[in-house]
Amino acid sequence: MTATATPQFFFEDVELHGIRETPGITVTEAHVALYGGVTGDLAPAEGVVPDLLLLALTTGLGWRIPQPPLAVLAFMGVEWHVDAPLRVGDTIHSVSRTAVKRSMREGGVIVEERQVINQRAEVVQHGKFTFLVAKRPV
Amino acid sequence: MADARRYFDDIQVGEEYESPGRTVTETDIVLFAGLSGDYNVLHTNAEFMKQSIFGERIAHGLLGLAIQAGLFTRATQAYATLAFVGLRWKFKGPIKIGDTIRLRAKVTAKKETSKPDRGLVTVERTVVNQRGEVVQEGETDLMVERRRK
Repeated sequence: MTATATPQFFFEDVELHGIRETPGITVTEAHVALYGGVTGDLAPAEGVVPDLLLLALTTGLGWRIPQPPLAVLAFMGVEWHVDAPLRVGDTIHSVSRTAVKRSMREGGVIVEERQVINQRAEVVQHGKFTFLVAKRPV
Repeated sequence: MADARRYFDDIQVGEEYESPGRTVTETDIVLFAGLSGDYNVLHTNAEFMKQSIFGERIAHGLLGLAIQAGLFTRATQAYATLAFVGLRWKFKGPIKIGDTIRLRAKVTAKKETSKPDRGLVTVERTVVNQRGEVVQEGETDLMVERRRK
């Protein structure tokens, strides 16, 4: 397993009700252009950030906290609400809380509540992510 | 210029749309990893994924979600959308490199709101691959403008 021995955060490592806050990222015209080009989901108007781009950026922000990546076996679902529009130049970060931790035969289910917050401390989007996470190999 | 967008009043419950297909490439996945910062091994480590239940790298679930949003704009005339309100979404199966996905969508509900200039439209969406397997499905809520009386 030499090529694959990366540290991972397993089901057992996840703390129920644990809270994680990420650093921030300024959403730029380049993000909007690249996102629109890759997905075909274009900005509705100039200077407006497509809503689903934020959802993607928040997953990346989770990688910038000092914790190994969650050993995700499968991303099962997402429930998401858009509370306010975001403009190019705004800076977001996210706060997540583990709301559910349910052990299964193969791995376990983790439900994470997440808020995306702008530079004025307003919640711009929020929702729940559901993951199937691997247990620590025995 | 004539406004070709479809308003709340024009959209009918039961309308169905189907998009063209789109092949998801390695490039899409690499670009999306770079854009989002989500470098999970599922999407970026070919060697690790050989040993996984998928046997190879798979697309980010959110890449599939974003691509279907793009496909929606190619499936039907644009709505006079004021805001994307929310979604309930399930990832049912992997999208692998080279898979061709398309979107099937159906308007399932229309709801008036407290504001007379807009209404809520719920669209049920299914993302299927080249074998007709459902890889993602869910519902989206859109706030759509009404025609001025």
